Formats: sequence, C-alpha cells, structure tokens
Amino acid sequence: MKKIIYLFMLFSVFLSFSQEEKKYSFDFKNTNLKIAVDEVEKNTSFHFFYDLDWFTESIILINATVNNATLPEVLKAIFEKTVLNFFISENNIIITKNTVIYDKLPVDYFDKKIIPEQINQSVIVEGPILYRDSNENVEKNQKESATLIGKETLNSKKNKFILSGTIKDSRTGETVSNITIKIKNSKINTVTNNQGYYSFEIPSGTNYVEVVSLNHKKSIKKVVLFNDGILNIAIDEKVNLLDEVVLKAKKNERIRSAISGVTSIDIEGIKNIPLVMGERDIFRVAAALPGIKTVGEGSAGYNVRGGKEDQNLILLDNALIYNPAHFFGFFSAVNPFTTKKATVYKGSIPAEFGGRLSSVFDITTKNGDVDTFKGEAGIGPVTSNIAISTPIVKGKSSLLFGGRGTYSGWILRSLKQPRIQNSEASFFDVIAKYNHKFNSNNNFETTFYYSKDAFKISSDSLIKYSNSAISLKYEHTFNSKSKGAIQFTNSQYKYNVDYDNGRINSFDFGFNINETQGIIKMNYLFNPKHKFTYGISSKLYKVNPGFLNPKNNASTLLPVSLEEQKGLESAFFVSDNFKVSDKLLFDFGLRYSIFNSLGASNQKIYQSDVPLNSGTVIETKTFGNNEVFKTYTGFEPRISARYFLTDDFSVKASYDRTYQYIHLLSSNTTQSPTDTWKLSDINTKPQDAQQFSLGFFKNFNKYDLELSIEGYYKTMNNFLDYKVGAQLNLAQNIETQLLQGQGKAYGVEVLLKKEEGRLNGWIGYTYSRTLVKLDSKFNDEKINSGDYFPSNFDKPHDVSIVANYKFTKRYSVSANFVYQTGRPITYPIGAFNLGNAQYTLYSDRNKFRIPDYYRLDIGVNVEGNHKIKKLAHSFWNFSIYNVLGINNPYAIYFVTDSGQIKAYKTSIFAVPIPTITYNFKF
Amino acid sequence: MKKLIQKILAVCFILTLVSCVEPYALQTNTFEDYLVVEATITNELKQQEVKLSRTYKLEQGAPTLVQGATVQVKDNQGNDYSFTEIGGRYLSNATFKAQPGVSYQLKITTSSGRKYSSNMETLTTENPIQSLTPEVVTRSDGKVGVEMTVKAFDPTNSSKYYRYEFEETYKIIAPLWTGVRPDYIVTPPFPNNPSQPILNPIPYEARICFISKKSNKIILHSTNNLSADDVDFSVQFIEKSDYKIANRYSINVVQYVQNLAAFTYYKTLNEISGSNGVLTQSQPGFIYGNLRCESNPEEKVIGYFEVASVSSKRLFLNYIDVFPGQLQPKYPFKCIQGSDDDLNPNRFENYKNYTFGSPCSDCDGTFLVTAFNAGTISYFNNAFKRYEIYPIQCGDCTSFSSNIRPTFWID
Repeated sequence: MKKIIYLFMLFSVFLSFSQEEKKYSFDFKNTNLKIAVDEVEKNTSFHFFYDLDWFTESIILINATVNNATLPEVLKAIFEKTVLNFFISENNIIITKNTVIYDKLPVDYFDKKIIPEQINQSVIVEGPILYRDSNENVEKNQKESATLIGKETLNSKKNKFILSGTIKDSRTGETVSNITIKIKNSKINTVTNNQGYYSFEIPSGTNYVEVVSLNHKKSIKKVVLFNDGILNIAIDEKVNLLDEVVLKAKKNERIRSAISGVTSIDIEGIKNIPLVMGERDIFRVAAALPGIKTVGEGSAGYNVRGGKEDQNLILLDNALIYNPAHFFGFFSAVNPFTTKKATVYKGSIPAEFGGRLSSVFDITTKNGDVDTFKGEAGIGPVTSNIAISTPIVKGKSSLLFGGRGTYSGWILRSLKQPRIQNSEASFFDVIAKYNHKFNSNNNFETTFYYSKDAFKISSDSLIKYSNSAISLKYEHTFNSKSKGAIQFTNSQYKYNVDYDNGRINSFDFGFNINETQGIIKMNYLFNPKHKFTYGISSKLYKVNPGFLNPKNNASTLLPVSLEEQKGLESAFFVSDNFKVSDKLLFDFGLRYSIFNSLGASNQKIYQSDVPLNSGTVIETKTFGNNEVFKTYTGFEPRISARYFLTDDFSVKASYDRTYQYIHLLSSNTTQSPTDTWKLSDINTKPQDAQQFSLGFFKNFNKYDLELSIEGYYKTMNNFLDYKVGAQLNLAQNIETQLLQGQGKAYGVEVLLKKEEGRLNGWIGYTYSRTLVKLDSKFNDEKINSGDYFPSNFDKPHDVSIVANYKFTKRYSVSANFVYQTGRPITYPIGAFNLGNAQYTLYSDRNKFRIPDYYRLDIGVNVEGNHKIKKLAHSFWNFSIYNVLGINNPYAIYFVTDSGQIKAYKTSIFAVPIPTITYNFKF
Repeated sequence: MKKLIQKILAVCFILTLVSCVEPYALQTNTFEDYLVVEATITNELKQQEVKLSRTYKLEQGAPTLVQGATVQVKDNQGNDYSFTEIGGRYLSNATFKAQPGVSYQLKITTSSGRKYSSNMETLTTENPIQSLTPEVVTRSDGKVGVEMTVKAFDPTNSSKYYRYEFEETYKIIAPLWTGVRPDYIVTPPFPNNPSQPILNPIPYEARICFISKKSNKIILHSTNNLSADDVDFSVQFIEKSDYKIANRYSINVVQYVQNLAAFTYYKTLNEISGSNGVLTQSQPGFIYGNLRCESNPEEKVIGYFEVASVSSKRLFLNYIDVFPGQLQPKYPFKCIQGSDDDLNPNRFENYKNYTFGSPCSDCDGTFLVTAFNAGTISYFNNAFKRYEIYPIQCGDCTSFSSNIRPTFWID
C-alpha cells in the first residue's frame, strides 16, 4: 500500500510527454499479464513500475492484437479488462491500481481549502477524485487502511456510484441480515437483506462505511470509490458490548422507513420477559404491543387494529400457517429457537402481501450455521425445546432443525384421577430448514414445518389437528441493481374428531384445507430515488369443508361429505420506494388481486330480496371441474409517506386497501381448532378493508427513548358473522346461516420504548374501538336493530408495561403489567318460561362488559458465566405469572340446567403460576 | 425421585391447564319486559290452549301470567276460533283440530291494546309413534340403565323434525311404614315425666304414593341426516340405581312433528342455553320466532306459534321385569335399619329416649315431642321409653309426594 502513496507523491514532478510516437505491434493470446508486460518492456525502451501482487492476486490473461499502435494504445489494450491504470512518464510506465494519475490539479483544488466551513463531507466533488490522506474525520484507533473500489475512468461524469456487497460474521462465515450500513457523517444508509446483501448509492471518493449491529463490533472501513463496486465486510461478534449501536440502528429504522404500523420483534430479547410456563412466545410478545390483542387469556387468534382473527396472514418463511397455536392457544406453535425475525405489519402492508385484511405476521427462520455444529435447548415444565444446526457442505450449505414437544401426556397418565387419566393433551412441532449458497449470486433455501395437537376432553371424542407448511425459495442476483426470487409454498391445515361412544353411531368427522402458491418477486434499484419491487403470485386453494364417516357398518348415520371448494387467488404487485428528498420518502404500492371460484361445484341461487334459506332457493347451478364460475377482483393501493420534521422526528401517513377471499367460520367467541374455512363463491362475497393512518415518531437520543404515536381509522365490508345459534359444522347450505357485515375501527397507539441501559422495556397504551353493523330488511338477519355495536374484541383501553432491570450483566429482573377493559358480552337481561323450563333472555349483542383485566408477572433471569471458552452458555429463568393471583374472568356464561338458569364464570390462571426454565446453547 | 418430579409437574399442569369454573352471581342489570307466547295448535280434537306470560327479572324466579288479553286463531277458510282466559291459560271456546292443508294464524291483543300476530302456519305431516319401549343399555360412560325408546316411521320422508315432551310418574312405597303415629300432643313447658304418647293409626294412605314430573328440557330429534325418516330415539334414560324405577314406573311421551323453522327455533334456544365447552362458547342473542308486534315492529316477542301433528304413547314398567333378580335401587332417604350408617358422621340417630330432665345427658323427650308434632320424624317401634324413629319420608310418603293415584295408573 505504501507504494500507492509514493505514486501520489510522484505526481508533482511529472514531466511532459515525448512527442515522438513510436508504433508497435503485439499479439497476445491467453498471455499472462506479467508476461505481456515483460514482452512490452523487452520490445520498447520503457520500464514498468508496479507491484507484482497486483498481477498475481488474480490470474489475468490477455487476449489482444495490436498492429502499428502507439504505446498508449498498446497499454490500453493490455489493461482494458483490469483495474489497473497506467501513466507514461519519459521512459517509465507507472502502473497504478484503481487510481488514475493526473498531471494537472483540478482548478479549484486549493481554493476549496480556503473555505472549509462550506464544505460538507457529503458534498460531491466534481471531476477527479484526489485521495488525500487526512485524519480529520477518522478516529485514531481505526486502522488507517483504505479500500479502493472500482476502476476510475478519466472522463467520468458520474459523482455517485453503487456500492454493494455482503456482510458476513467473521467467525461463523454466516451472512448477517438486518444490519445497518451507513456512510459516516451523512444520512446515507441501507440495511442488509435476508442474505446479508446490501446495495446503495454513495458519493464517489473517500467514504467511511460504517457497519452498525447489535451483536457485532462496530466496523468502519475507509473506502475510496471510483466506480460501482463490491465491498464485502466481515464483522466480528461482540460479546456484551456497545448496545448503543443497536439502538441507533433500530431508532433509525423506526423513524426512517416510510411505512408505519410495523413492529419488529426482537427474538433474542423476549427471553427476558416473564411468560407463563416459561414458554418464549413470539405471539404473546406481539400481543403486548399496541394494536395487537387476543380475545382472552390463552386463546388462539389475534385481533389486529380491530380486525377479526381470520384477517391475519401468518407466514413462516412465506408459507401460510393456518392455526399457529397449540392447546387452544395456550402455546404458540412457532419455535422461538429457530426464529430469526418476526415482523408484524398492522398497517401499510407491503404490496407483495395480500389475501388478508388486517395484518401480516412475517416470521423468518434462521439459517443454519455453514461452518460449525451448534445447538440450543430449553427445558420447561410443560414443554422442551431443541434447535440444532449443522453444516452439510462446509461453507456453503447447512441444515437447521428445531423440535418441541410436551410431556403432558405422561403427566396426565400418571394421575390417579380417572377423569383426568382418560383425558389426553399432547402436541409437538418440528421445523427443518436447509439453505444452500451456490455463490454470491445464487441462493436456495427450503423450509419444512409440521405441528400436531391431540386432545381429549370428554371420554368419547378425540380431537386432533395439524398444520404443515413447505416453502422453497431460489434467489438470484442479476447484477448490482436487480435481483429476483422464485418461491413455491404449500400449506395445509386439518382437523379430525374421532367420536367413539362405543355404540353404533360412532363417527369420524373432519376438515382440511390445502393451498399451493407460486411467487415471483423482483427487486430493481432503478436509481437512488426509485427502488422497485414487483412480481406476481398465484395461489390454489382446495378446501374440504367437512366429512363424517360412520365407524360402524350397522350405523344409521349417513356418511356426509361436503363438496370440495376450489379457488385460485392471483395477484400482480408493484411498489416504488420513491425518495423525493432526504426528508420526504414515499412508498407507492399497488396490488391487483383476482379470485376465481373454480368448479366442480353446485351453487344454489336464491331469490333476491328475501332471507336465504332452503325455501328461497330458485335453482342449483352445476359447474364442471375447474370451470370458473365466479370472479372477484380487488384493486389494492398501498401508499405511505414519511417526512422528517427534524433529524429525529418524523411524521408518516398511509392509506391501504386490502381484500380477502377466504373466511373463517367460527360461532365461538374465540378461535377454536375445529373452526372451518370457506372460500368466497356466488353467495359469499370477499371481505375488504381500507385503513388510513397517521403517525409521529420521535427519538430522544439523549435519554435513549423512542416515542411513537399512531392513529388509524379503518372500515371493513363483508366480514362474516352468523345468525344467532348458527350451526356451522357440516352445514349443507352454509350461506343460509351467514351474515356479512360492515365494521369500523379506530384508535390511537402510544408506545414509549427504551432499549438501552440498565432499565429497559416499553410502555404501550392503546385506545381503540371496533364497531360492527349487521343490518338487513329481515329480523333474523339483523343484529341489534341493525345499529353499530361493539365487536367481541372491542377493548377500548389497553395498557401494557414490559420492564427489565439489569443488576449486573448476568442478573436481571423483569416484569409485565397488563390492564385491559373487559371485553363485551351479551348478558342476560331477564328470563322467560317456555315448556316447563326457564330460559335466559339476552340483551342486545355485546351490550355489557366483563370486569376489567389486570395482571402482573415477574421474572428473574440468570445468565450463565461469560467466559468465552466453555461448554455451553446457559440461561435460567424463574418467573411467576399472575403474581397478584387476580381471578380475571375469561368468560361468563349462562346455562339452563334442570330448568333453572345458572351463571358460571371461567377463569384461567387464576392463581400465581411459578415456572423455572433452563436454556442452554452450545 | 422420578415419582416426585412427576407429582410436582402434575400439580403445575393441573393448576394451569384445568381452568377454573365457578358459579357467578346473577343480576339483572337492566330488565326488558316482553311478551312470551306458548302456542301449539295440534291435530287433536280438544280445546286448544295458548299460554301468555311476560319475561321476568332473574331474581324473581317465576313469570307473571298475562291476563285480560284477547286471543284468536284464524284460518284461511274463514274460521275464527276465540279463546277465553281461565286462570291465566287461554282455552279455545270450541274444540277444534288443525286440518292438513289449512293455514292458521294467531292473533293476540293485550289489555293495553298492543296487537301481535303470527305468520300463517300449516299442519305438519302426521306420523304417529309406533312404539315406545324400555331398553336396557350400557352407555359409553359405563352407566347401566333403561332407555325409553320411541319408534316411528314416515314413508313419505317429510316429517323429519321432531320435538318430544314427556311426563313420568312413579310409584313410591314408604319402606318403614307402620301405619301408626304418636298422637300425644304436649306443649311446653313439658311436664317432668309425662306419660307415653298414644299410637293412633294414620288416617290416610301414607305407604303408597306417586310422583309425576314433566320434562323440563327441549328434546329434539331429526332424521334429516338419515337415509329414511325412521325414528329410533331414546327420549329418556334412567340409571339402574335410580329410585324412579324401583317399583313401577310410567312415562307418557308426546311427539310433535315440527317444520324446519320451528325446529330451528327450538334448536337455537337449546343451543344458546346449553352447556358449552369450557373455553369455547356460542354467540348468544335474541332468537326471532314467527310472532311480531303489529303496532311496534321493533318490539321483541318470544315464542313460536306452531301447528303441529301430535301423537302420544304411554308405557309402564316394573323393576323386576327389567332387571330381574337384581337389587332394588335404594330409597332416596336414610331409612336403613341397623348400623349401616354408623360410619356416616351425619347419620340419623335412630334411638331416642322419651325421658325429660334438665340437666340430663340422654333425655330426648323434648326433641321427640317437637319432632313428632312438626312431622319431621316417623315412628317405627318402641321398647318402653326407648323409641326407634326415622325421617318422616321413611314412614309417610305424603311428606314428599302425593297419595292420589293418577287416573291413568294401571298396576
């Protein structure tokens, strides 16, 4: 490197060219550069000055034929395909790497020095880049080595170039995603994608490229950029240092991006949050953030900004998971040990996602380690969990496996009580991910997921359900500006009820849904102002709405098999991340979706303007296999904008519209594993929603606090609701029991977050309302006189506090506090007698509320020692759920038993639940 | 060690996963007052009946009957049947029966002038009960008992929806009946050593009684999912150990054939008032029937006006015929002689001394006089002043049932 600096010194003593133009002829065929240069030296009177390393660090073969050419022409032919430049001075030929030697200074070179105040680092220097060694902006402890990138061209008019590359962990060799790369002292920054790849446009010349990451040491590279080029950076893992850097990265993320209503869950950080049964649960953590709620404690299904449970697109490596819950929702079915990142979009859903109205839970699985064998395990009172990763082809491919199971079956069997002994509750989930990196431009990964539950509550029925998901993804980088990915996914959900009472009318009853999807997604960095993402996707649904098979040949039960439903949901999407200025950023997205209902099908046509029932059927239309009998389309604009009011204060606004062609049929207050899904058809319209949101994001860097206030207003159409007491399972003409309603939801979400320091955590407050309306001309299709009324999950006030206090690096305590308004219920307002029995007269739907909900959990976390060399890193968590032992009602319900009305209150976890969990990593 | 861990885990598991269900104090937060109509016109020639009541507050316990209303049933043949109120029940002035193919409408005008009317309804298919038989079964939960099974068959496959009501009657035989009771009435303050009471015969039937009870559940059955309209349905199950069938038992089953709408109304009502799973529940709400308030369409009316074909059958059974040679179910009161119940801390102390004194450790005279006077004990035997006594139900069945033999009863 010293040589280069010497060369720079040389430029002040340049002499003028010799006027004599001698002509030469050379013929190089696969000639080594060194030999070619020697050849020239031999045949001319010139001497070459160079560093031999430049010639040998990569084998350069020259293929060139020059006839009667001047020396510069000869040299040009030789060095054309290399990063080397040459400079002829008298009889000397000076070879330089990257740089061009100028024999004149730029006109204003010295003038600039005179007015340094006006020159900002990011001001682009016109003309040639002169590399001056200056220490003024570089910290002393930084290695003073510069990387020269790209070949400088003499008449380059461009002053900005694209720098791209991959960030790898120096120890593991794994690529690192979600890392911020920034140019020091400027606002230019970018984030690595899932493959650790980044690309951004930076000014030519000297730049300090800074890599900031939570788990890695800060790294600054001095880069002198001459042209588009590649800079791969290896970063060192950091052990308990410099959390500030992370915060900066995240802070930037929050206020910087155009989209609002997005939440990223820190998978590593959730281990400090006290949780019931010691289960690290991504979904429970999500539900502690503003805007995401569950109907009740330990219930499956999430309500995001007033959306129903079926309006969430839950993706695991892009494959949909229909019911990511074990045991009714007490445990989530996604393994936290294998999860890399979970992002929840509550609003501004990117155009590439579609098919659900309210949210996207985008969960990405970790890639296995391509170099070493690694593992992690957790032992809890109800479940145990393990994740192992092993290289397959060292340095290129790896396999990650995660598994989780419960020993509840064993516990239940060991009990003396026959009622419990005969019950069954077991579940497990497994995940495997294989990734293969062919080279820096081609990458393949595939994920397989399976979860299964089996439980028996009464002695005669065994309920089983399972999810499976497979995803395949191939990514290709075409060039520094564009790349693409092709993906296939298949997801399945099924359940089965095995009812065996020992008599002839025992039966087997079930449901299943299967979807297969193909996606092509392209990213194109058009210019620094426009980044495009576009693609197409198509998904084929097959729903078997239910079957019932008698288990005994003598049974008088008729086997039931409801007609299969088929549908094709396709979409085209495009989005432009348009940076108008440093302050203003737009994200214009558009999704156009098409849903085709496919045969074979028999569709009932009902009389118009009368309630749908078996008496108002006009005709039954029959459609052949794969015949398109109904098409719905959805125009779904997704627009968001960000404007910086000051450096650390931004305002964001967004509008988005979403369509949903598949509906969950559930007449229960909470989602149940035996709920079924239904596709839109002639009688069931797709649901649609639109959301307006406005948010303010402010960082108080001095106190490491970030504050956000977001407001939204949302309207929904055609979501499904049901007539009173609807029977949804195995219903032949399900449309006669359905109602399609309108809804509106609005709210304000406030989140104050502190991720750094001894005391960290967040305080979230949400005020939100969700109102629905089911109106019709007919009384039995009308709920609450057709007026707006609160939905089942309308809980206006919601406060959650998650706090963690670190005494030392190893010991910390944490606490959760939750307060929620009680959810609405339909309360008895009187009784009546009919046929010798007393019955409840119910109020208008959801007119009353159950008592408010409070809960406090505490936990103590003990990290294993921090010796670098040890067998395994361990982590203990002691937690007490519901410390105050508050008997929060989960449900209040009323039954007529022996002709008398009785009221019951159910509560779950009404007593403090202590848990110990032990986790270790190796 | 393994056992210990297992136990600890088991406790944790039960604590958390077996959620807690407890009774909840009911309260009518706001009360809404509506008309409740019970009206089923049948194809039986009789004075048809309509019952009108009002909804009531939960803590009230029983409904108020509606009096002074005008009730009429009209048909599309121009007939008009008026009803007259007799003690809160409205009976048609003339006997009539619903005819197939004719549609009927119920009209009600309350004393306050509110007018209610039903949809036009027609008679459902006639499908009489073919048989009602007792069948001994062992249920999946291991319970052995007798099922009362109804059989019917509709070759036209048009009945499909059935609702059942029944009335059970069973014979009670007081096991420790003696036919006498002490009739010596003394009033406090008791004399120090009164003479013994005189035993007089009980002047009424106190040994054999009857209890009649109507069904208080909605019992529905549908043959819709069967290949033929072939009813084979158990309306009632009685466990082998239930005293109801200990002697002689009778059940009268009434079958109503319903139309889909009426069936759905009852099914929904049953559904939302039935016991649900602990963690999942169906959406309750108001169920609209086929009655409307003409003057205020927003007003809710409870009930369903039905025109249903009806059929009934009665059966009798004796325990010894159904479970021959097996031990009779126990009498539902503590009437066992001897020391059977000695281990029970709440056992009935059968021997009392007719002695008085204060203080006196085994003087029970005061207790005996008070209890005989109040009719809470029955006399069985005595050896001078030592009396053997039992709860009143053991010697006098009228204490909890009726000694009037029902008119339909055949021994």
